[in-house]
Parts: sequence; structure tokens; C-alpha cells
Amino acid sequence: MIDIEKFNKILKRVEKPARYIGLEKNSIKKNLKDMEVKFAFAFPDIYEVGMSHLGLHILYNLINEEEEIACERVFAPWVDMEKEMIREGIPLFTLESREPVKNFDFLGFTLQYEMSYTNVINMLHLSGIPILSKERSLEDPFVIAGGPCVYNPEPLADIIDFFVIGEGEEVTLEILNRYKDFKKSGKDKRDFLKEVSKLEGIYVPSFYQVSYNEDGTIKDMIPIIEEAPKTIKKRIIKDLNKVYFPEKLIVPYIEIVHDRIPLEIFRGCTRGCRFCQAGIIYRPVREKSILKLLELADNLVKNTGYEDISLTSLSSCDYSQLKLLVSELINRYEEKKVGISLPSLRLDSFSLDILKEIEKVRKTGLTFAPEAGSQRLRDVINKGVTEEDLTTAVSYAFKEGWSNIKLYFMIGLPTETDEDVLGIKNLGYKVKDIFFNQPKEKRKGNLKITLSASCFVPKPFTPFQWVGQNSIDEFNRKINLLKDNIKDRKITFNYHDPRLSYLEAILARGDRRLGKTLIKAWEKGCKFDGWSELFDYDKWIEAFYETKVQGDFYALRERDLEEILPWDFIDSGVSKEYLIKEYKKAKAQELTRDCRLGCTGCGINKSFSGGVCN
Amino acid sequence: MNLRIKFTKKNYLRYISHHDLMRLFKRAFRRADIPIKYSEGFNPQPRLSIANPLALGIASCSEYMDIELQERMSEHVFMDRVNEELPDDIKILEVKYIENTKSLPSLIRWGFYEIEFKAKNLKEVEELKKLIKNWLKEDEILMKKVKRKGNKVIEKELNIRKLIGNVVVKDKDIIDSDIKKDVNCIVLNCLLKAGDKGNLNPMDFMLSMDKYLNLDIDWDTVDIVRLALFIEEDGKIKLPIY
Ligand code: SF4
Repeated sequence: MIDIEKFNKILKRVEKPARYIGLEKNSIKKNLKDMEVKFAFAFPDIYEVGMSHLGLHILYNLINEEEEIACERVFAPWVDMEKEMIREGIPLFTLESREPVKNFDFLGFTLQYEMSYTNVINMLHLSGIPILSKERSLEDPFVIAGGPCVYNPEPLADIIDFFVIGEGEEVTLEILNRYKDFKKSGKDKRDFLKEVSKLEGIYVPSFYQVSYNEDGTIKDMIPIIEEAPKTIKKRIIKDLNKVYFPEKLIVPYIEIVHDRIPLEIFRGCTRGCRFCQAGIIYRPVREKSILKLLELADNLVKNTGYEDISLTSLSSCDYSQLKLLVSELINRYEEKKVGISLPSLRLDSFSLDILKEIEKVRKTGLTFAPEAGSQRLRDVINKGVTEEDLTTAVSYAFKEGWSNIKLYFMIGLPTETDEDVLGIKNLGYKVKDIFFNQPKEKRKGNLKITLSASCFVPKPFTPFQWVGQNSIDEFNRKINLLKDNIKDRKITFNYHDPRLSYLEAILARGDRRLGKTLIKAWEKGCKFDGWSELFDYDKWIEAFYETKVQGDFYALRERDLEEILPWDFIDSGVSKEYLIKEYKKAKAQELTRDCRLGCTGCGINKSFSGGVCN
Repeated sequence: MNLRIKFTKKNYLRYISHHDLMRLFKRAFRRADIPIKYSEGFNPQPRLSIANPLALGIASCSEYMDIELQERMSEHVFMDRVNEELPDDIKILEVKYIENTKSLPSLIRWGFYEIEFKAKNLKEVEELKKLIKNWLKEDEILMKKVKRKGNKVIEKELNIRKLIGNVVVKDKDIIDSDIKKDVNCIVLNCLLKAGDKGNLNPMDFMLSMDKYLNLDIDWDTVDIVRLALFIEEDGKIKLPIY
């Protein structure tokens, strides 16, 4: 345990001490001395962000179900806390036992966004654990990572001992059980890595060698030991009704980003938006049954006392019996004043009907994501939404009393022209007209339209994995074009920092050579890069320069279809041929239907079973 | 059906804010299946009011809250069921149905605190006793208050003398409270105005005392516990539950 007197002292000095105290309802504290395996679950961001992540709750409870294994949480301390910890010599510790992370057998990171990578390094450093995998001994924990970012694990290849690709519920226990045997065997670190590399979904980067062509592209990647497989197949859970889902969730004391029950209704998505990585890597779609969901909801409400249930998935309106589920939940919880919310809405009357039902209890702003401003560009990205959908939905919403509408867009999508960009403005103005075209006495509330634009980041395992990103200058030009053209008090225009999206693009499609740049950037003080108040672009640029890595090579370059991509060794289940086909269709502005209406041949049903694919 | 509740907020839970505490109770009531009354409207909120919000970092052995129930239930069934759902450091000590429907926060007048600290310029308890006695003879004790109005920061000087009641420095040998650990600390009790008719945060009291008496307090050692809250009813000062 860390020095508690010092800990008590520094709590008085930091801004939000409750981030570090633990002790929440349903948190699990075991006696670490009695444990065979100690697992520290790390989320490389602050408490409020990490605690909002469903995967943390699932794995935390799942691991703690095992009697002789303890799982404890650790988050990135905010800068004020970090300063005090360094000043008092307190190493990074877990919330439950306040035990130094270094004393655990595993330190498992979940990687949800690329801009948290410097926090991974920082957390290792604060723990007193060597940053490079090769410099760690058996005294140190095994440092492992999972989450959506590890579909391209290469930028962290020198840092992480092994990656878990895909869904973690089953494989995590397989790893921990192997570890129990290993611990008794007296063998060394490399033996354990060999052992886990035999498990499906495990990638041990140090067992592979990458060589490069003269132009900087990858020549090949070969396993250097016999046990290591040539391709790593992602793990998926066949039956979501049988997979572990916690019936208790930790209830934080302080307000977190998503402060409600996340009820996962299905995994995967069949819509096939071409920019969306989640839509590919979480295939196939697997639903939970209504009965199972109602049972879970009952237990979760009882055990947490939360005032809201959020029906989560990538596209919740696609749940096949959504109406039934929603009305059943409302019936059950109306009296207890537990609200139901849908995080991802589609622009159709069906969704709005359901929303209307939900909003009987609570009324909030409405958010839609047309993603692109023109029909042409929406066809390119296969976002099956028409302008008519939007106008019908918005008219309906205004009639029902909503007056606060948010629309999400991306700029810099492949083939985008200035006309497409200005389409974002046009849609905003159209929504405004719809509001004011209502007769005066029918208008409800005070109209507020927010147009929000993020900068497109091409991601691995999408049909756009080959495209070049817009340059920062080009993004800025487009942003200014919109800023200059949107002149209306009712319409607010927000946009993301293109410099951040540029770095995100580099890390998302980067290779192993980026490891040294990451470490250099961290040495210069980069951390919490996703937080605008701490993001320091100039330091990153210095880090690229000093490590002789060209950011443009990763972000801006259009790749040949034949090029070996850094993540090609991972099998997401969706075939490369399918992605190529989709890429070509995008350029031709051809749509691909939702595959719930008939398989479109992505390949996932060939190597993985389970789910709705027929 | 109005129920007045007395509860504690101790140890690490002194670090959760007033809003956190409200949320914690709402959720505990739901888990405990308490038939609490909700406000009308689109965003129904449980009817509950906490007497006097504690500043972050201050512990308390007697906080009060009023809640409204839909139907009557026995006091100790209520207490047992809710305590079952509360963390160790927040526990209900007493409950009582009350007739008076005046809002609890508007009744609060005084807070009584125990403050433990070390100060570099202080050798003896006796010395501090004298200093405080003289200090409190002043008619004016000024404190700078910074207020934010939108983007503007307004500084105001406030005379806090009337907000300070009795201050007693405890003699070493009579410190027996179970909260104390460090024998080298100075312990004092003070009665400070609380509520919407004048309120002095104990931390502000300490800052002001430090400044006026030039004590050079070691802020890392400051430990504040609220021992009691008092209300005024029919012109009399009483405990909220009596
Ligand atoms: S296999 Fe067919 S139905 Fe299944 S996700 Fe792929 S395209 Fe859709």
C-alpha cells in the first residue's frame, strides 16, 4: 500500500480529490495478500471518462468473479494530482487497495482513442515500470492492451507486451488461467509470452519482425518464433445471451461523463457506413433477447439506483424489437422515475415515435448525424440518409416541441468539394426555415441549431483505409469557408481542431516506427492530448522532427491497394476484397444496402459464427 | 409526510460535493425502495433538501436533510433500509417526522465546528487563547471575498466579525474526541453563522485568523469537522431534531 499519510495530505491539495478515493457502491476490494493473480485495469484518461466506459465495468466484474483473482482500477491522475504524487514520491496506485500498480501481475490498458497513447506511457512511468517492453523483467507486471485501437497495435508494439484483439470476455480468463500455471512453473517472461501467443486473438509484437521497402512502405512482417501465428484472428463472443454481463455496476460518487446504466442491447452494426471502423470490427450483429435485457435491467436498477438506462449499441434503433423493449422498460420504471435514453438516433419516423414515448418522462435536445452536407457525399460514405429524411424528422420534432437541434458532420471526406462543404451550412439553414415556416402560434420554444464538424480521420479496417487525409491547411480553409458563410444568430457552428485529427490519423494508421516518436513526445511533456487545454501541437512536431518520422507519410498519403498495411496481419473477419469493393463503390457513389435486408458478402460469416448473418 | 434526517459525512467522503451527496442519497433511496415524492414536470426530481451544504473537504457528525414521502413508513424501518444502502462514512443517525413545513435551509442559523491544525508561529495553547480573545474584541474583521459575475471578477471587503460566535481553544489534556490522532495539533471549537441569513465557511474563518494573528498555519494539517448545526424556531436556537 502507498503511504496513507502522504495520500491524505495530497488529497487536500488537489481539485477533485474524489477521483482518487475509490470506495464506491459495488466496487470490489479483496485482500490482495490472498490472491493468486492481481490484475490492474487501466484506463488512460481521468476517472470521469474511464468510468463511463462499459468495457471497464464488464471486465472488472468478470475478473472479480474469480475467487483467487483480484481486479482493481487505475486511471490517469489529472495534472494537479500527478504533480503532488511526484512531489511526495507516491507511485501510481489502484483505487481499491491503494496498492502500487507495479506490484500487480498485469497492467491491462483499454485503448479507446489514439490520443490517449501518451497517457499510457505516462502511467507506466508514474508506476515506476520501464516503458519499453524489452526493458521489463518478471518483477514488473505484464503490460497488455485491448480495445478498438488495437486493431492497429503497431505504434505501441515496443511498449505493450501483448495485445488482445477483439472481445475480451472469454480470452481474458484464458490468459489469467495460463498465468496461474506459469507462476508455479518458474519459467521466464518469454515463456509466458510464447504460451499466450498460442491463444486465438493474442498478438505478441516482439515475436514479429517487420522489414521495409526503400519508399518507407512495409516489405513484410514475419513471425520469428514457431508458435506465433501469421495472422491474428479477432475474438468474438458467439452468444450474447450467454456471455457474462455484470448485474452490479460501480456507482461513482462524482458525476461522470455517462452517468447512467449502460444496457448493451446488441453488438455490431449492419448499416455499412464507409468511414466507420466500429461498424466493421464489431461484426457480426448479435442481439440480446428482450427477456435477457429485462432481467438485466431489473437487477441493474435494483443494485445501482441509477435514474437512467441508456440502450447502448452502435445503432440502437436497429434493434429488432426496439418498440417492445422500450415500452416494456417504460412500463416497469415509470413509477420509479427511471428514464430510458437512446444514444444513437436515426433520422426516421420510427425512431422519433420511440423517442416521443421516451420523452414522456424526460425531454432533452435532439441530435442527428447526417455526417455529410450533400446527398452526393452521403452516397459516397454510404450514409443512407436523404434530405427528405432530415426534413421530415425535424418537422416532426418541432411539432412535438423540441427546439434544440444538433447536427453532426465530418469535413474532409473522400471526394469532397466546396459545394459539399457548403451543404452543411445549407442543411442548417433549411432546418431553420422549417422551424419558422410553422405558423407563429405553433412554434414551441426557442430555436437553437448547432452544426458540429469534425475532421475526417481515415481508419484501418474501413473502405477508406487507403485514402489520404486532408492537410491541416485544407481543413482550415474548409472550416473558414463555413465560418464565413454561416451568419445567423440561431445557428452555432462548432468544429474540431484539425491539428489533433492530423495526429490521430498518423497514430491510427501508423507502424512500429512511431513508437520512438510517441516516447519522444511524452518526454517533451505531451499527455492528455485529447484535452484542448493541454494539447501541445508544437511539441509533437518537434518529436516527429527529432525522431526523423514524417507525419505526412502516414496521414496524407494515399496508399496503393497492393501495399502491405501495418495491420494486415489482423483478421477482423471482414475480407480485404470486400473493403476494396466498397472503396470502389464509394468512388462511384454507389450505395450498399443494409445487410440486415440481405447479406452483402463482407465475409464475416465465413470465419465466425453467431449473430444475424444468414 | 416530511421526514427530517440526521446523518454523518466522514473520512474520505468529506471529498464529495453537495451535488454528489444529493445524487448519492437519491440513488440510495431508489435502491432501498423508499416511496419518495417527486416534483412535477418533465424532469421530476425527488423532494429532498439538505440543510447547509458543506464545503469540500469538511467532515461532519451531524448533517441534516428533509425529505418528503408519498406514504408514511416507520422511522426505523426507513433508517435500517437506507443505512443498508449507504457507504460506511455516510450513515443516518436519527430520523423524525416533522410538522413544520418551513424549508430546512431557511431555518439554519449556526454551525459548530472542531478544527485541528498546526501553526509555525505558535508554541503554546495559552498564547493562542490570548490572541483570539484580543482579536475578537475588534469590531471589524475584514475579509476579501471574490465574486464572479459572468466574466467579471468582483472583489469585496466583508466584515465577518458578526459571523463569528464563540471560539474556544481546547486544553491539551481535555482533547478526547475519537477523531483526533495528532497530539501536537491545536484544537479549537468555534460557532460560526450558517444559513441564508449570513454564512461563514470555517475555512474562511481559518484564513482570516491566520492573517490577523500571523500564525503561519500549516494547511496540510488542517482538519475540520462540523459537530452540530442549529436552527432558530420561534426565536429560540435549537437543534434541528429535538
Ligand atoms: S456476412 Fe453479410 S449479413 Fe453478415 S455482416 Fe457481413 S454483409 Fe452483413
